[in-house]
Amino acid sequence: MRKRSTGFLLLLPLAAITLLVLAACAHVVAQGLGVVPAFGLEEPTIAYFAAVLTDGDFLASLSVSLRIAALSALLSAVLGTALCAALAAWRRRWALYLVRLPILVPHAVVALFTITLFSQTGLLARLAWAMGLIGEAGDFPQLLYTPQGWGVVLAYLWKEIPFVAYFTLALMVSVSATLGEAAENLGASPLRSFFTVTLPLSLPAIAKAGLIIFLFAFGGYELPLLLGATVPKALPVAAYQAYLDPELTRRPYAMAMFSVILLLSVAMAGLWGLAARGLERRLEGGRP
Amino acid sequence: MRRRPFSRLVLALTATAILLPALVLVVWSLAGRWPWPELLPERWSLRTARELFFGSASLPRLLLSSTLLAGGTALLSTAAALLTARAAALYPIPGKGLVRFCGLLPLLIPGTVFAMGIHLTLLRLGLTDTAAGVLLVHVVAAAPYAMAIMEDVTAAVGGGLEEQAAVLGAPPLRAFCSASLPQLLPGILSSMSMAFTISYSQYFSTLIVGGGRVRTLALVLVPYIQGGDRSLASVYAVAFTAWALAVFFLFECLIRRREKGGDGTWN
Repeated sequence: MRKRSTGFLLLLPLAAITLLVLAACAHVVAQGLGVVPAFGLEEPTIAYFAAVLTDGDFLASLSVSLRIAALSALLSAVLGTALCAALAAWRRRWALYLVRLPILVPHAVVALFTITLFSQTGLLARLAWAMGLIGEAGDFPQLLYTPQGWGVVLAYLWKEIPFVAYFTLALMVSVSATLGEAAENLGASPLRSFFTVTLPLSLPAIAKAGLIIFLFAFGGYELPLLLGATVPKALPVAAYQAYLDPELTRRPYAMAMFSVILLLSVAMAGLWGLAARGLERRLEGGRP
Repeated sequence: MRRRPFSRLVLALTATAILLPALVLVVWSLAGRWPWPELLPERWSLRTARELFFGSASLPRLLLSSTLLAGGTALLSTAAALLTARAAALYPIPGKGLVRFCGLLPLLIPGTVFAMGIHLTLLRLGLTDTAAGVLLVHVVAAAPYAMAIMEDVTAAVGGGLEEQAAVLGAPPLRAFCSASLPQLLPGILSSMSMAFTISYSQYFSTLIVGGGRVRTLALVLVPYIQGGDRSLASVYAVAFTAWALAVFFLFECLIRRREKGGDGTWN
């Protein structure tokens, strides 16, 4: 009854979106390869990539961004799983709304949260002073604006732990209500049933959430801008600063930096895809 | 009924961690003077509230532009997602795996890179520094979330009822509107709610493509935070967040009215 041609028509918006995304990526990489017709640059060259990849500042920025992304993804995944387990065990509608709140709050606002709580004159430092733990503001550990990036990671955790929990919840509830309870009925302790049945079967969703967070934190701009160190800057912040350089011939360097962000993200997603396929096979009991 | 000390503890900690910063922000926005190391402000003041409504970055205009942009994004990305989901679920087309992949593709591309690239594309189309260009970029950013939601919902509703209506002689649009649409509505609303949030929070893409001409709340908030006037930054952040929550709960009310009662898993 339903015609194939109508189906293709329905896919036009998706095709347009996909084309826009691919064109955007192609534009960035082309300028990174030094093809900027507006500036009279026509010949592709890898000179800009080579220059960027051997630049010490760039490598420092890269390691800052990788560290922020990895810490945010890993810690959010672990703590988010714990939160998810709690939600699945004690099902309260208010709690469900509660964990959805941070997903709604924009990153800039989360940055302000982090500053008011964790800066050296923030609420925690004031509490520490009131309890006599520190003598002055400078005694409180410097968490924000440092190359270790803890301020940025804390802000991502506030937003992404609930995201992991919410993202995994449907799967975990269905697994624990069926196979998890079966294991408990057969005599497994709740803890054992969680770690041997519910957790492994929920792992695909947790890992997917972790990947989304990694990519987001790796390419994110606002939080490292507002909470990160000035030297070295996170990669997207450094790349945008290079883009703003009034010397227009520097433009291809900026675009080469954005290209590296793009290529590493795609590579990361590809690796994750391979790993996920391996995991699925193991969950299916090693069948090819 | 087992007691669940672990779950209660985790949820209590979570509730504190989520609500405390919001409370601190409200206090900051009303603080006239709050020097170190006081735990509460020394003086309270409505200076920031006056600035919020009558200052240079007037709130009503910013709210209007942010809401129109986010509302447009919600409509367009959900419509695109609905069409895609129906094509994949109900029509005999080849390459459904590719369709799913393309739907999620914008998630894999870092938002900063996409914004830089689309800026170059839109320059050629003459759409930079316009609301239309910003809208387009927000739609692409929100699309994967809308697609994921609509894919699930469309697959769950299926096409059976609609086909029966068609067999009984209803024209296709009528069959869709009276048979499938009511069942799809909760999903459509949650997709719109999600897309609204994504657009409402966009900063970098609005900055690059809008070129500062398209002003949203997210755009003006960042300089306030960088500026260091904590009370002023807080009052904008509170207004910004309160409006996001208001819209979210409006959508939730609509969804729950449609669903009537829910599934009983949650109490």
